Amino acid sequence: MIKIDRLKASIDEKDILKGIDLEIPAGEVHVIMGRNGSGKSTLANVIAGNEAYEVDSGSISMNNNDITEMSIENRALEGIFLCFQYPVAIPGVGMAYFLRSALNAHRKYQGKEEMDALEFLNNAKKILSELGLDDSFLKRSINDGFSGGEKKKSEILQLLTINPKLAVLDETDSGLDVDALRTVAKGVNKFKNKNNSVLIITHYQRLLDYIKPDVVHLMIEGKIVKSGDMSLVEKVEKDGYSWLEN
Amino acid sequence: MIDTIKKNSLEFFNSKGLPSKKLENWKFTSSRNFKNFSEPLSNIQHSIDFEADELSLVFINGILDQDSLKKFKFAHLLEVQSLNTVESRKLLQCSENFLNESMFNLGISEFENGSYISFKKNSVIEEVINIKNYFLKDNENKRVSSFNIFHIGQGSEVSIIEQDFKEDYSILNLKLNKFICEDSSTFKYGKSFNDNSKTHSLSYSYYQLKKDVCLNIDSMVKCSFFNKEFIEVDLNETGSDAKINILNLGKENHHVDNNILINHNAEHCTSFQHVRNVLDNKSTAVFNGKVIVSEGAQQTDSNQSNKNLLLSLESNAFSNPQLEIYADDVSCGHGSTTGALDENSIFYLRARGIDRAAAQKILIKAFAKEVIDDFSLSSLQDISEIALDSWIDG
Repeated sequence: MIKIDRLKASIDEKDILKGIDLEIPAGEVHVIMGRNGSGKSTLANVIAGNEAYEVDSGSISMNNNDITEMSIENRALEGIFLCFQYPVAIPGVGMAYFLRSALNAHRKYQGKEEMDALEFLNNAKKILSELGLDDSFLKRSINDGFSGGEKKKSEILQLLTINPKLAVLDETDSGLDVDALRTVAKGVNKFKNKNNSVLIITHYQRLLDYIKPDVVHLMIEGKIVKSGDMSLVEKVEKDGYSWLEN
Repeated sequence: MIDTIKKNSLEFFNSKGLPSKKLENWKFTSSRNFKNFSEPLSNIQHSIDFEADELSLVFINGILDQDSLKKFKFAHLLEVQSLNTVESRKLLQCSENFLNESMFNLGISEFENGSYISFKKNSVIEEVINIKNYFLKDNENKRVSSFNIFHIGQGSEVSIIEQDFKEDYSILNLKLNKFICEDSSTFKYGKSFNDNSKTHSLSYSYYQLKKDVCLNIDSMVKCSFFNKEFIEVDLNETGSDAKINILNLGKENHHVDNNILINHNAEHCTSFQHVRNVLDNKSTAVFNGKVIVSEGAQQTDSNQSNKNLLLSLESNAFSNPQLEIYADDVSCGHGSTTGALDENSIFYLRARGIDRAAAQKILIKAFAKEVIDDFSLSSLQDISEIALDSWIDG
């Protein structure tokens, strides 16, 4: 699925990622944990192609296709989906219009016919119901006036509508109450299957109580320093990260 | 009587000359090009082909066309008289600021055959009336001055959409309007201007609101080479509400200037100004908005907002929102923002597979549509949205 090879990236000439190697095969859920400032969100943004960051060396490939130089939108169309840590509010752009535009951009890229408004609405309403959201959600502007929980649910709604190959969840669990956390987890579990992959970036174990990862990576100062199973999460919860520096 | 007024106005104009940039209201708008329109409209009437229907009032060079009046479905609810027969005190009872404007005086000195159009008491018209302005090509590069007064009778409900119809030739369209809204009237006045010529539009619109009036002024100006509009609203009696929503779309060297003054002269009145400009290329927008809350105008609720979206490094917006408050129990707010499209929003849309150009168009439309959505007339919303889409795609 995705393969990151010796990736180095910087912002404003400050080195953040200092040689990331990561491979997530289809059907797997991987987790990256690390301290604040360790480069987790930078990695998520670089995977998504955020132009604020400079890739200094290394490569990112999706299904053996090098996407390192690919535009943001083409990466999205290739199947990369970033669940934003801080989703932006865009007043005046309705959720329904936005979702349908995004979905149809993907369908066009895949050589499929655009989805008509009625079919789109029926699908969207089904997902909304599963997420415990009211249909009126579609009439609101993108994330405008949304609570923290609603913003994250909006991200999951987009994830399930677009149905990408790789979902990168950048601290999607932060700021959520237990109910919202369960809704988000339910959405991610509904999304994942043997043909797609999930990369979860988090500080806490609590989301992982609902989404079981296959591999856990620990990141320190722009590098993945250890990979393993869920026991690593438990150790970090108990001992923090300082033991990795020894 | 009218001759004396015109003579005095011309003397005023001659003594002051064209407005200079030293004047606060003209600081960012040059009147230099007015010199290109050195002659007033010739007084010869020519025929013109126009579409008149039963819901339209047609003005040719700013003069009400009598044939369209005859066809007008609601003519029985109107009383129309010539401004030549209106007593001078009533004629010029309007903004002191306008009376001190040299161009307003020039307009007064030159207008011909203005009309006093009065909607009778309790005229409730559910359909939208169209005002269609036609201009004769014979007057290319001339000044076309007009003055008309609209009187909305007590308890009346009137909705108007005004549009200009003109081929690609240039005039100085100097338009003076006065609107008197009697007690408990509702007046919705929408404008949609789309002009690709080098026409200079300069308008002075004065609104006098009595008790419990509901006024909406909605306007969209697209591709105007020069459009400067003075709007002054007097909230003279209690319980009235004035809402102004304006959207201007500028490209190339277009210049738009909204000069708005709202005078809260009575208690329990509300006012709302919302002006947005989308500016591309070398276009310029000016917003001079002022709210004056007089002593004793308690329980005033007023809000003023100007937002400018700059799509190029060479576009410019000058924003000057002002409040003058002389009462102590009021709620007044104002704000102004100017900036480019938000890169975080563009990134967000692109991260969902929408390309940069499409993302920019979505964001421009969203910015502009927030004003259009607030227009009080759904038909104006429709016209404006179509015009907006073609502007964005153009």
